[in-house]
Amino acid sequence: MRYEIRVDGHMSETLAKAFPELDHVVMSGQTVLYGSVIDEAQLFGLLARCQSLGLHVLEMRQVPE
Amino acid sequence: MSVDEDQPESAEQQTDPLGDPYLRTRFILPSRPVTFLARPRLTRRLDHSPPTPLTMVNGAAGAGKTLLLADWAAGRAQPVAWLTMEAEEKRPGMFWAHFLHALRTSGRHLSDRIEDPADAHHVDRRLLSAIAEDLATADPPVTVVLDEYERVTEPDIAEQLEFVLQHAGRGLRLILVTRTEPLLSLHRYRAAGELTEIRAAELAFTPEETVALLRLHGLRLSVQAARALVDRTRGWAAGLRLCALAAQESQDPEVYLKEFEADRSTIADFLLAEVLKRQPEDTQDLLLRISVLDRFNPDLANTLTGRADSARILADLHRENAFVEQLGHSWYRLHPLFGEILRAHLSVRRPGLEPELHRRAARWLRQTGSLPEALAHGAAAGDWDFTAAALVDDLAIGRFFTGLRSDDLAGLFSRMGPETTSPATELVRAARDLSHGDFRHGTVHLRQARARLDGVTGDPAAARLSCALLEALAARLTGSPTRAELAAESADEVRQDVAPDLLLKHPELPALLLTHLGSTRLWAGRFEEARAALAKAADAPDSASTVLARKESLGHLALIDYLDGWLGRAEHKALEAVAEAERFDPSPPAGSAIEQVVLAGVAVDRNELGRAKTLLDEAAEHSATPHDPVTAAGRAIVTARLQLARGDARAAVEAADPDVFAVVASPWAESHERLVTSAARLAEGRAGEAAEILRKLGDDQPSCTTEAARIQCAVGNVDEAIDLLDSVPADGRTGPAVTVRATLVKAMAADAAGDTATARRLVAQALLDARRERLRRPFLDAGRWIRPLLVTAPLDRLAAGWLTAGHPACEDPAGPGTPPAPIVVEELSARERDVLRRLAQMMSTQEIAADMYVSVNTVKTHLKSLYRKLAVNRRGAAVRRARDMGLL
Repeated sequence: MRYEIRVDGHMSETLAKAFPELDHVVMSGQTVLYGSVIDEAQLFGLLARCQSLGLHVLEMRQVPE
Repeated sequence: MSVDEDQPESAEQQTDPLGDPYLRTRFILPSRPVTFLARPRLTRRLDHSPPTPLTMVNGAAGAGKTLLLADWAAGRAQPVAWLTMEAEEKRPGMFWAHFLHALRTSGRHLSDRIEDPADAHHVDRRLLSAIAEDLATADPPVTVVLDEYERVTEPDIAEQLEFVLQHAGRGLRLILVTRTEPLLSLHRYRAAGELTEIRAAELAFTPEETVALLRLHGLRLSVQAARALVDRTRGWAAGLRLCALAAQESQDPEVYLKEFEADRSTIADFLLAEVLKRQPEDTQDLLLRISVLDRFNPDLANTLTGRADSARILADLHRENAFVEQLGHSWYRLHPLFGEILRAHLSVRRPGLEPELHRRAARWLRQTGSLPEALAHGAAAGDWDFTAAALVDDLAIGRFFTGLRSDDLAGLFSRMGPETTSPATELVRAARDLSHGDFRHGTVHLRQARARLDGVTGDPAAARLSCALLEALAARLTGSPTRAELAAESADEVRQDVAPDLLLKHPELPALLLTHLGSTRLWAGRFEEARAALAKAADAPDSASTVLARKESLGHLALIDYLDGWLGRAEHKALEAVAEAERFDPSPPAGSAIEQVVLAGVAVDRNELGRAKTLLDEAAEHSATPHDPVTAAGRAIVTARLQLARGDARAAVEAADPDVFAVVASPWAESHERLVTSAARLAEGRAGEAAEILRKLGDDQPSCTTEAARIQCAVGNVDEAIDLLDSVPADGRTGPAVTVRATLVKAMAADAAGDTATARRLVAQALLDARRERLRRPFLDAGRWIRPLLVTAPLDRLAAGWLTAGHPACEDPAGPGTPPAPIVVEELSARERDVLRRLAQMMSTQEIAADMYVSVNTVKTHLKSLYRKLAVNRRGAAVRRARDMGLL
């Protein structure tokens, strides 16, 4: 399953290191984290990590392989 | 972790169900920094009168939830019970133990009926009722705050909380502080007006509050400018706080705040970097290093920084309200939000340092006596030599088997690779393998551990004792009595070298060792020595860690009683074992389920075959150790006896083989297997083969000898049967299940010799002995000869009510002349009754078949079993007997 998570604001390179399993790209005031996710458990784990890093999740969606 | 001495400790129970001390810092209100801004509009919401039973404060990390509640609670006349949740509380038993500890810490005196849950995983519904009942009487109501409730993800706990909340009525006010929506049925409380909700929108700072907050930091800002800041931060408390700190440090705060507004970075990330870079170098270094810790005090922080100034830096940081929160006394924690971000900074700015920090923390925690945390950091450092040694030196290896921390430990060491080879790591590997019943790999690791122990410096007593425990377990699993005795001896030798407080802390270790020793002795047929070891294990101190050992040893003692023929005693002990197990979670490792096997055996002897079957199925389901010779042998015997009783000889022979690897054969297990095979041949009518098998019998267990005598007698070798019986010593060791059978063999021999008077006297004695135990099987197995005896006075009265149909012995007014009440040992089935009624109408077999729409063969089958049950062999006799018994 490939997912992308769109968060508000530009993430620093340092903070992006908190998501070593995902790639990221910064665009127009947002950061998109993307990559493959093993299962639902990991997905919820990623969401919780966003929350605990104080990130605002704007969108999360599955993308075609 | 350390317990401070200067606070009164009202709680009686000092350790949680896992045997670890309660962490003081989790039960006290977090202190508020100087720059904390009280927000009356929110505390007023909490003060709303009358208060709702449930309050939920729900917002993102850093929204200011905890401090709001701490501020509100501190201003109340009534003490508030406070509990900060941790991941441990995903287990209901742990959750409720902590809940009760929080109540006690707040000064609430709970009724004596409330006992702390002994089992970490499970909580009794009765306990919940008792808590609710106790709280229902509270006036004024008790307020309980559960902070960081988002860590409780277990639906069971939410359901249990609702139960208590509902039944405590107005006596309990529950406040959940959480980042995520809890699993309670909030809509119901909402609809009933029983829920106060403070959510993100309300928690957000208003421009006016922002101005006030900044003023506390010595900054002046217009409400207009503050509004823009609120827009940018969404009124997020942590963001505003960081903003203030960053601005304070800058040249021109006003300009700084303006620029921040325009930046598009993620807020926490940006602000944290800003504030961090404005800190002095040593402070930055300290913050990065302590980010690997959940909690710390200055000493621990010094250990990580290698400096001596942590106390001052931490006090400064707390005063400025930057990053750290004070947990009371000298303990702090990082704000969870900043902790996460700081860890990301740590890995970028000090790559490779993290394992070293974990290693230092682990060593410090180990020295201050906090084993679980030391293990966690040791594992995070990947320092397996240290982590395994910490576990072994603390004598905690038994925890792999007690079910308390088994899963945690297995998980902790799951990442341990094969490269470390210290004695402690080998012991941990052996424990891991043996706990799954994998004795082959376990033995290999044990051998390596032993070889390396000799070269170990320092104090290896704990390691040697751990080694002895694992040896004893390996001996039990492989059925090797010599090895078990050696293990017990080496344990005795080394025990005095182990620190006494360690032994006190780990009663499970000697209890488990004795259980394994007892089990191995039992396997070897040394019942008395086995009993001695097992009785000691069953007598181990009553604590959560010894539950499994006590249950197992009681189960083994029950098996010995069963094999000796003491059904009542066996049942009693097995039920005790079941009761022990019920206080405990049935999730793995639940042990061998040997007590269920014994209960099934008792049921077979009482001819309660359906019950026996159910118990055996349960035992197979519950057994956590597939490879345990004694249990396997016990199950084989009981299953085979059940199949024999059901008349399935082939299945009995199949079941009689325990199919288990053992170094030394068990004499009784082998004999019982042979006896079942012999009895099966007898049932199949192959008397010669049955007798032939008995010739190979070696064991002198009275139960085996007696069964052999029965078979010999049944095949006609009466003299041999009597010789066998005479060889059983009359030492009072054997119970009714054996003696009754022996008496019946003698009766059978007398009957065969035509001495009916003696036979009758002996059967009477057997009935008397068997009656109290409801021991039915020996009479059903005795053969046809006994039936005429059982229907004559006075035996019929001895048998009535428990062995045969009819009323228990009442005075017979007609005297000895009345016709004897015939026996029905088995109830007639509905179809058999149908056949019987038609038989009484003088219908032929063909007519009955036609009338019942079944085949002639089916009718014949019914007739056969009808004759057997009524103990007749002709249709006329069947009808007569049925009339006598009132069946027609």
